[in-house]
Amino acid sequence: MKLSGEYVFDGPREEVWKLVRDPEVLMKCMPGTQTVNKISDSEFTGEVTVRIGPFAGVFTGRVIISDEIPPQSCTLTVEGTGKIGFLKGVGAIEMTELEGQKTLMKYSGEAQIGGKVASVGQRLFDTVSKTMMKQGLDTLNGFLKSNAA
Amino acid sequence: MEATNQKIELTVTVNGTRYEREIEPRMLLSDFLRHEIGLTGTHVGCEHGVCGACSVLMDDQPVRSCLMFAVQTQGHEITTVEGLGTMDALSPVQQAFHEAHGLQCGFCTPGILTTVTAFLETNPDPSEEEAREAISGNLCRCTGYQHIVDAVLLAAKKKQAAG
Amino acid sequence: MATLDHNDKKVIGKRVVRNEDPRLLTGQAQYVDDVDLPGMAHAAMFRSEYAHARILSLDVSKARAYPGVLAVFTADDMGADCYPGPPLVSPPPTVKDVVFNSRRQVPLVKEKVRHAGEVIAVVVAETRYIAEDAADLIDIEYEPLPVVADIEQALEADSPLVHDDLDSNLAAQLIQTKGDYEAARKSADVLIRRRFTIERGTAAAMENRGIVAQWDAKSESLTVWDTTQAPIPIRNGLAARLGLSESKVRVIAPFIGGGFGPKIMMFYSEEMLVPWLAIKLNRPVKWIEDRRENFYATTQERGQVHDVEMAFTRDGKILGIKDDFIHDTGAYDPYGLTTPLNTQSHVMGGYDIKNFTSEFKVAFTNKTIVTPMRGAGRPHGVYVIERMMDIAAKELGIDRVEIRRRNLIQPDAFPYEHGIIDQAFAPLIFDSGNYQAALDETLKAIGYEKFVKEEQPRYRAEGRRVGIGVLPFIETTGVGPYEGARVTVEANGKIAVATGVGTQGQGHFTSFAQIVAEQVGVDVTDVRITTGDSAHFNWGTGTFASRGAVVAGNAMHAAAVMVRKKIFKLASKVLNAPEEELELENGVVRVADIPQSSISLKDLAVLANPLRGAVEPGTEPGLEATAYYGPQYGPTAFGVHAMIAEIDPETMMIKILRYVVTEDCGTILNPLILEGQVHGGVALGLGNAYYEKLHFDENAQLLNASFMDYLLVGSTEMPRIDVRHLETRSPLNELGTKGAGEAGAIPVPALFAQTMEDALYDYNFEIRETPLNPNRLFEIVREEKTT
Repeated sequence: MKLSGEYVFDGPREEVWKLVRDPEVLMKCMPGTQTVNKISDSEFTGEVTVRIGPFAGVFTGRVIISDEIPPQSCTLTVEGTGKIGFLKGVGAIEMTELEGQKTLMKYSGEAQIGGKVASVGQRLFDTVSKTMMKQGLDTLNGFLKSNAA
Repeated sequence: MEATNQKIELTVTVNGTRYEREIEPRMLLSDFLRHEIGLTGTHVGCEHGVCGACSVLMDDQPVRSCLMFAVQTQGHEITTVEGLGTMDALSPVQQAFHEAHGLQCGFCTPGILTTVTAFLETNPDPSEEEAREAISGNLCRCTGYQHIVDAVLLAAKKKQAAG
Repeated sequence: MATLDHNDKKVIGKRVVRNEDPRLLTGQAQYVDDVDLPGMAHAAMFRSEYAHARILSLDVSKARAYPGVLAVFTADDMGADCYPGPPLVSPPPTVKDVVFNSRRQVPLVKEKVRHAGEVIAVVVAETRYIAEDAADLIDIEYEPLPVVADIEQALEADSPLVHDDLDSNLAAQLIQTKGDYEAARKSADVLIRRRFTIERGTAAAMENRGIVAQWDAKSESLTVWDTTQAPIPIRNGLAARLGLSESKVRVIAPFIGGGFGPKIMMFYSEEMLVPWLAIKLNRPVKWIEDRRENFYATTQERGQVHDVEMAFTRDGKILGIKDDFIHDTGAYDPYGLTTPLNTQSHVMGGYDIKNFTSEFKVAFTNKTIVTPMRGAGRPHGVYVIERMMDIAAKELGIDRVEIRRRNLIQPDAFPYEHGIIDQAFAPLIFDSGNYQAALDETLKAIGYEKFVKEEQPRYRAEGRRVGIGVLPFIETTGVGPYEGARVTVEANGKIAVATGVGTQGQGHFTSFAQIVAEQVGVDVTDVRITTGDSAHFNWGTGTFASRGAVVAGNAMHAAAVMVRKKIFKLASKVLNAPEEELELENGVVRVADIPQSSISLKDLAVLANPLRGAVEPGTEPGLEATAYYGPQYGPTAFGVHAMIAEIDPETMMIKILRYVVTEDCGTILNPLILEGQVHGGVALGLGNAYYEKLHFDENAQLLNASFMDYLLVGSTEMPRIDVRHLETRSPLNELGTKGAGEAGAIPVPALFAQTMEDALYDYNFEIRETPLNPNRLFEIVREEKTT
């Protein structure tokens, strides 16, 4: 399953990068996030409640950041398991400065899903993941703007 | 999902008989009919409202008993396949299914019989196309539907003849 | 052998309505989930989410502690009782160079899961709701392993291994040859090569599987209600597994909500588990599969890839065929080689082909186990040969009906010996047939000539894409080893009949009753059939391979003939008249021409089982007989399907305007029931052609495990089917019957492909895969257009 897209933040690249690397901020941005623990600078664990169609459940997971070139790009490896299935994904993030103190984020990745989430929720997974992504990035952009203000 | 010990009192009329039971709020209507009051004629084929095998009538309208909680039927009247007719006195719809060979394994049949019974009340003289449309929410893996459609049309004739 | 006179039948062949209907129509028929026993506990299965993974840790303590839970068992808890099921079909005999690696499923997985949905633990609780709640509390940690999802990659040297103790994922390999294909191809005018891909679907019986087991500790007896198509072998197998006498195990297959093959997979993990649990806990235990479980725990079929070459003369005569294919067996191969052997047996279709060679390889993959499903390898063979015939017709510029006509086996060529083995390892011999007649009947019924000459040009002038398809198929049916039946005239004058096969909607309570009524001279409604209860009949194999009407039917006929003889012998004595002067009708034996000299079956039954007096030496009490029938090889049915369908090239939505089936399955027992079987088969076939496909991703995760995403054919997709009957008797059995249960499904994907190519005549494309769907067909039409 492939996931890719773009998002334009209303702020400079360094600011965006700082927020993305802050677990406190991420927790507030990612819909359904209940806890985020920083294991190291490049590894976080946490719990996220996910609802996909008829199923809802808590995923416990881990995010590892690698190949990091601040404030430009990094690779994210995400693993999550829960009673409704499992998820494993690798994604690349790339940020480019745009004119007028804006930042373009491009992301692309591939996810594997299994269990109930896959067998029954598959056709909703795409929509749900896009919605969650959009919600999260909008919130992040909100932080950016309020920080700037 | 956490289980609760909370129980709710349910009063419902099924096939003309009044039942009072204390049940968990999460109990499905299909499970209530089959396992609480022993009306096993209603069958469960998919548990997600697609196959139609579990269809029963609530106040004469077809509903999927696997998609409803039993407590939602509070004060309503339910008709299951057992309420349509008996082995010695089949209803016109049941009789038509018998004569037209409108069933094979019989598992989807109760949901189709209730659906068709309600359908013929609103459309007593359907065309073949309307009959197909009427049963399009019921899956059958044995018959290829042809004899079911024949049975629906025959049932309409029987009901009209009976007045 | 006294064959039943064709013209003399009174009951057989009549459109009799079914004896079983009133019970089924009023909700009074008992299915497995309707069994309700005092103290019954409920089981829920904890299944693997991964298709291929090592289990690192498993903790069931929270589930065990959950209120209302009676027990949780893992493979460790089961100990020595946790061993694989038996091979359902024994490995093949020594065909030259045959490879067969038998690997079977276990009740509970201990170390490594090999497909998503394998059972790892079982929870037993006071209610199913509680059992499922508790199963959610089981903690498990996996080490995911590389997944074998594709059958071709499965056989590559660097593929991960499904079974670590084997060198490769090769489950089996077998070559069969006839004549000399290499010589044939050298003398050919034209060689045609193609590759065909066939993917998985599911049987989707409306009733999911289920088992209820009850242990009586005092009498040490076990009763099991099982949605099986083979109650007697399940009884025997359970007795062996549990160390019980077969006489202490009773297996009942009550009314079954559709079987279609997968309900004869022995032993499913749950089938081994639930009876064991009932004994262990000394409580009745029920397990009912849910639909999502059915999607990945009930067996599936149809995954194959074929590489085919056919040699033709310029005028379209087939010189030979070479078909090498890979067959997907999933994670285990309990059902042996039945399905790929069936494919091999059908890849020559109904054609006179002298030179044939076919090698199949069976591959283990990390997918659900494959066992036969309605059609059972036959649709694959028919798809391959009929697609090749269409392609050849185009390349050689011969009409597609004509090229078939030139190659069909002629009526005087039967019995037609192929010299290879069939699914039962018996010689593949087509017993009888009149293939040309079925083709002619179909062409007439669909109006082929008129459509091609008048209607189709008119449609095309209007810009409508309406196509016609016509093709023949064969179906090998009615294989051994045997079935039996017991027929008894009871003291109330009714006839009791018992047989070991189970019934899943085929109308056995009626068609078998007709066979018996024919001999015993009673009304069909006075014959009461008991099927699928090991307490009523001790011997049998099961309902599969389109064999009920052939194998059980002929056993029933033989037993009924014996009872008829007993009736005549006793009546002759009682009425003091020679047997030749007696007539049996309406439950009464009469002396011909002397109406007042008669006796009812009821009175004869009482006389045959006297309470006082002496029984003559050598006589058996009662009017009862048991008989068995076992064919040396099975009869082969035949038919032709034709359809006219319209397609919208923008949306690829189809409308079938006409559909004709000519079915020749020998002597017809009941045309009404037969037509129902054909209709249902065509519906499944259409699903296999254009709607139903199991979507596995590259990790062998099933992505459409619900009826929302896996589309079954509904009433509005189905056309009205015009069924025509021909009756070419089988010379192999007294009734002259051949099987018909699977026939309807077999040719449909091939027919659909032919029709679509004809409808979309102005696009240049070729269909080489099934199942299709509108989206995929659109892609194919596009792809080929741009290349």
